[in-house]
Amino acid sequence: MQSVWLSTHLKAARPRALAALNRAFGDINLAEDAFQEASLKALKAWRQDDLPKDPTAWLIVAGRNAGIDLIRKRSRETLSAPEDLEPDYDGAHPEEDLTQSLDQAVYRDDILRLLFTCCHPVLRRDQQIALSLKVIAGLSVEEIARAFLVQTKTMEQRITRAKKRLQAARLAYEEPDSKARAERFSAVANAIYLVFNEGYSASTGSELIRPTLCEEAIRLARLLVRLFPEEPELRGLLALCLIQHSRRQARLSPEGEAITLEDQNRNQWDRKLIAEGNILLEAALRRATPGPFQIEAAIAATHTRARHYQETDWAELDRLYRALEVIRPTPVVALNRAVVLAKLNGPLEALTRLEKLEAPLERYASFHAVKGAFLAELRQAASARAAFEQALHLSGTDAEQRHIRQKLADLNSCDPAAGQFKRP
Amino acid sequence: MLFSVLIYASEDFIDALTPEEHQEIMKKHGAFHEDTKTNKNFAAATKLMSTGTAVTVNKDSDDFVVTDGPFAETKEQFMGFYLLDCANLEEAIDKVKILPLDHGRIEIRPVEYFEGADFTNAERLVINAS
Repeated sequence: MQSVWLSTHLKAARPRALAALNRAFGDINLAEDAFQEASLKALKAWRQDDLPKDPTAWLIVAGRNAGIDLIRKRSRETLSAPEDLEPDYDGAHPEEDLTQSLDQAVYRDDILRLLFTCCHPVLRRDQQIALSLKVIAGLSVEEIARAFLVQTKTMEQRITRAKKRLQAARLAYEEPDSKARAERFSAVANAIYLVFNEGYSASTGSELIRPTLCEEAIRLARLLVRLFPEEPELRGLLALCLIQHSRRQARLSPEGEAITLEDQNRNQWDRKLIAEGNILLEAALRRATPGPFQIEAAIAATHTRARHYQETDWAELDRLYRALEVIRPTPVVALNRAVVLAKLNGPLEALTRLEKLEAPLERYASFHAVKGAFLAELRQAASARAAFEQALHLSGTDAEQRHIRQKLADLNSCDPAAGQFKRP
Repeated sequence: MLFSVLIYASEDFIDALTPEEHQEIMKKHGAFHEDTKTNKNFAAATKLMSTGTAVTVNKDSDDFVVTDGPFAETKEQFMGFYLLDCANLEEAIDKVKILPLDHGRIEIRPVEYFEGADFTNAERLVINAS
């Protein structure tokens, strides 16, 4: 049991300690190795009833020493020390400048730099997710591979390639100006949401929700909100994740099948998370600088205010989607707005809106499922069936496929000749 | 006499807990509830939302200034508090021993004045130290 608690302390200290080591060495690989060494030392030296006063500071000092040892060892092996591995540290008393490095403002910049490095725009999305989970959240390669249902070796290669790409990009370590800072926040928030979404609606495989990914994303978002409470989009991101996550119990049947918002038992929604999400959103909106995450959180929050699906405030949702379309004019947002408009004005108008989305969303299962639902409502059974079959063909998860098969079965259960549909 | 039991912990640590560890901590709080309720020491329990939800209200000359959060200046955050009705400090110290003291810090501070509302029937509970 004891080592379990100790590993939780290591996990809690990891982002901050690693961020400080990354600044000291200017090298993520070396920072990770140094943190690993420091963790091994900690597991030997720490006792549950006698922890260091500040475990994070302890790990930073131990990690710096370990990192310097590693540099010396490597320079002996290669005979000359690579220039970019040289730490800006004279090797005398590491604890002396620790007070400065533990200063909150420095921490904040360190963490932002580390996060931004892990989800740098030079990286592909899957690389950003893998690197964030590995470096910041501290998940093992095996754990990440399992979450993405790939071989450990495949995931290892993905992470190695991502790190190589970062090295090749020779990232600047200077302080960002306010515009660059805003871009970093946006990149980091997007990457965290990618992690959350991969857990929330897994794109492939037999499991529909992977709670570990959702929880790690929420943990990172909480850390960011704690460090940067003045950034409303970060609060919006956390609010969105919490409200989505509040439905995790209701989204799956005991058999593991997906349950849509319409059919969920709303009593199973986690009201604690919803309350926290709503207050985070309210606090963020006080800044009057809306962004995509705040709007998406507001959309999610609107659903939480309806006790039954029939009480959903579709007009409010339409206003929010319209605002989102201005900020983020993507086909997926347009598709969601079409769903809302179908509720407000009927399926015919919504179906017309789908026409211009046909090309960009051709490969997107949800597009065809939505189209099928509109057509079914318009009692065009043959076209609806074709759309559902297309959705089935494109869908990645077993649960998603079961859901679409159910829709097809509903179509078949009525008499096609008479064109009669079971009313939902 | 009324005592407040103030609980400080690192939110980084709380966020990193496994579900089992979290449950173990909550079990100790549960035992504390049971003991203090059985022995009529229990007055109130308050668990706060994350510091990320907080705003700080200041006054700048005549203008109110609302800033976001408290900045995480300290490594430990104020998580919540209990109010206990105990005969003396000794008893209060004795009571908190079953709380999860391994993680974070617990401070006992006597209450000078307390007034609370019973929200369901709007009756008031008033406890005065003097």
